[in-house]
Amino acid sequence: MSVADALPNPEALVTALAAQDYLADPGLATALFCAVRLPQPLLLEGEAGVGKTQAAKALASMLNTPLIRLQCFEGIDASEALYEWNYPRQLLGIRLAEAQGADISEASLFSREYLIERPLLQALEHGGPNPAVLLIDEIDRADEEFEAFLFEMLAEATVTVPELGTLVAKVPPVVILTSNRTRDLHDALKRRCLYHWIDYPDLEHATRIVQLRVPAASAELAAQVAGAVQRLRSLDVQKPPGVAEAIDWVHAASLLGIKALDAQAVEETLGSVLKYREDQDEARTAGLSWVAGV
Amino acid sequence: MSDRLSEVAAAFGHLLHLSGLPVTPERSIRFATAIELVEPDDLKQLYWIGRVTFLTSHDQVQMYDRVFAQVFKGIIDIADFRGDSANPPPPSSTPAGDREQGDPNRSGEAPSNPHGTSATPGNKESEDSEEDTSVLAAMSSDERLTEREFSLLSESELTLIRRLIERLPVVPPLRRARRLRRDRKGSEWDVRATLRQSYRTGGDPVRLAHRSRSTKPRRVILIADVSGSMEPYARVYLHLMRGAVVALKAEAFVFATRLTRLTRALALSNADVAYRKVSATAQDWSGGTRIGFAMKEFIDGYGRRGLARGAVIVIVSDGWEIEDPALLGESMARLSRLAHHIIWVNPRKAADAYEPLVGGMAAALPYIDTFLSGHSVRALEDVLAAITAAQDRPDRSNRMAA
Ligand SMILES: Nc1ncnc2c1ncn2[C@@H]1O[C@H](COP(=O)(O)OP(=O)(O)OP(=O)(O)O)[C@@H](O)[C@H]1O
Ligand SMILES: [Mg+2]
Repeated sequence: MSVADALPNPEALVTALAAQDYLADPGLATALFCAVRLPQPLLLEGEAGVGKTQAAKALASMLNTPLIRLQCFEGIDASEALYEWNYPRQLLGIRLAEAQGADISEASLFSREYLIERPLLQALEHGGPNPAVLLIDEIDRADEEFEAFLFEMLAEATVTVPELGTLVAKVPPVVILTSNRTRDLHDALKRRCLYHWIDYPDLEHATRIVQLRVPAASAELAAQVAGAVQRLRSLDVQKPPGVAEAIDWVHAASLLGIKALDAQAVEETLGSVLKYREDQDEARTAGLSWVAGV
Repeated sequence: MSDRLSEVAAAFGHLLHLSGLPVTPERSIRFATAIELVEPDDLKQLYWIGRVTFLTSHDQVQMYDRVFAQVFKGIIDIADFRGDSANPPPPSSTPAGDREQGDPNRSGEAPSNPHGTSATPGNKESEDSEEDTSVLAAMSSDERLTEREFSLLSESELTLIRRLIERLPVVPPLRRARRLRRDRKGSEWDVRATLRQSYRTGGDPVRLAHRSRSTKPRRVILIADVSGSMEPYARVYLHLMRGAVVALKAEAFVFATRLTRLTRALALSNADVAYRKVSATAQDWSGGTRIGFAMKEFIDGYGRRGLARGAVIVIVSDGWEIEDPALLGESMARLSRLAHHIIWVNPRKAADAYEPLVGGMAAALPYIDTFLSGHSVRALEDVLAAITAAQDRPDRSNRMAA
């Protein structure tokens, strides 16, 4: 079944993602749908823990294709992102040839055999039938030079390896970039991408996500935690809790056998939702009963 | 891609562009393609398709919401379909008629929100859309052209922006608009059918959508001075007038020594024929100016009989009156009692040293609600925003209600 048949519209995508335990709201579903069907790279932004990375993962398993992830970091360069020549192996090849009294040509030293494919190349080489999902995570951590390089690759869906020539993608990957907005991205890159900001989910949506992720927890607890997390976000905390923290919290609470939230329960589990001492103090000042919503 | 769809995309994209978002023709095409793929059947989906294809960063969301709300005003509250309610809804997701408080200080300066615009492209020759895109591209690549004083435009530059200006979205405020009920189910309407319909009639989705809500757009009346001193501006404003007449059923008048109604001549479907008809109709282009007399003619001949009642009136003139300014003052006083809102556009206002101290301008000033320069494409955006935002003066509201 082709991708277009499997994904006739965003609603179908919502259903398919739910089967992968990911609950997308209509905005995100539209964004992912357009990324797959237009197709066009998608830049996803949002506060920590709203589900950016997981969205790409769920999309890949839904399409039944590999998720190829490129985690960006300061100083990342083409050899880590694209390909690298396998020097040890090349050396070994030369030695072997020498030992056998044979000659090894440069061409055969720089052939596929000695090429290490990094994520970008892997994504281009993916044979289909469905496109691979290429997740370029936290692009804002890479430096601008790398961004420009990446842009070229995205624009052309081709890569040139001087020794091998130009490699054209067989099935161009679905590209999802995420950014935590530590710096502004290049206009050229932004121009190329669709854009979606993942908001914190509303109460109902957050409750459903938590229930899905921690089936052991009671519906009541899930709803209470979703509300409490929303209240904690309204405080002046350094790391406002997201979906990930809500899940952690419910997890911790249900492990302790907590069925419903009250001040006491919050006190016992606060460390699972607010990781910093100062943030926990902030919550205590605001009142743990208030946090619990009782 | 169908012509109409690409026009909708271009028009909506154009509005976002006017609001300062980095919209490119490429994005408009992406938007249109996505609409074809998704086949949205409610406004919520259309909202997301536009948001995903047009934006490049989170800080543009608020502006996008505003423009979207302007275009599809009052049909749905955007806050209803965003995620977390922690973000307050943007101010202009409120229907325009809800803004009750007038600000008496706003005369003489551009309104603080120059974004109140909406999609009302003018005539519908299908080959226009392509041209439109290239004009858009040319405009955005040439910032100077948008800033340039109309009187300094060369013939070729004028040709370039002519079509654009004709298609600028003039969106009237609504009369008797009240806070609309939030109703998720009620938001389910056929977007494509509505857009199609509205483009066939050359109208805008706003009008169509509100028909069922018993709110009506206010009449917009444009009156332009075509005397000698205003000639370089008149040739530009004529295009704005035609766009408004065709898309909005606005009323258009010109005057120098006498008043001439142009509405019918401008409404002709062929632009060139329309302009030829216009020059034949208005004989006294570029004569002297008798503003007060022309205004009196307007009120006696049209305004009093109901045309001006509750209308938004836009007068384009430098205020150079050759007769006694007292008649102008008198006429303006009468007009201000009839009209909902009077906008006076005086290109000379753009000059640093300009002060409306003497003559016709001084006489008219007390009766003007919004005073703007409108001397360039950029300044024209303020005029459009003022039309959309036009509200009753607080000291006049009782009289208007009566
Ligand atoms: N809509 C959702 N449906 C199901 N699970 C979700 C959803 N949103 C978030 N989660 C869960 O929340 C956790 C955090 O998500 P994820 O790691 O994708 O967040 P992120 O936005 O990538 O965060 P960061 O910025 O820290 O990388 C994951 O365990 C993920 O499964
Ligand atoms: Mg992540």
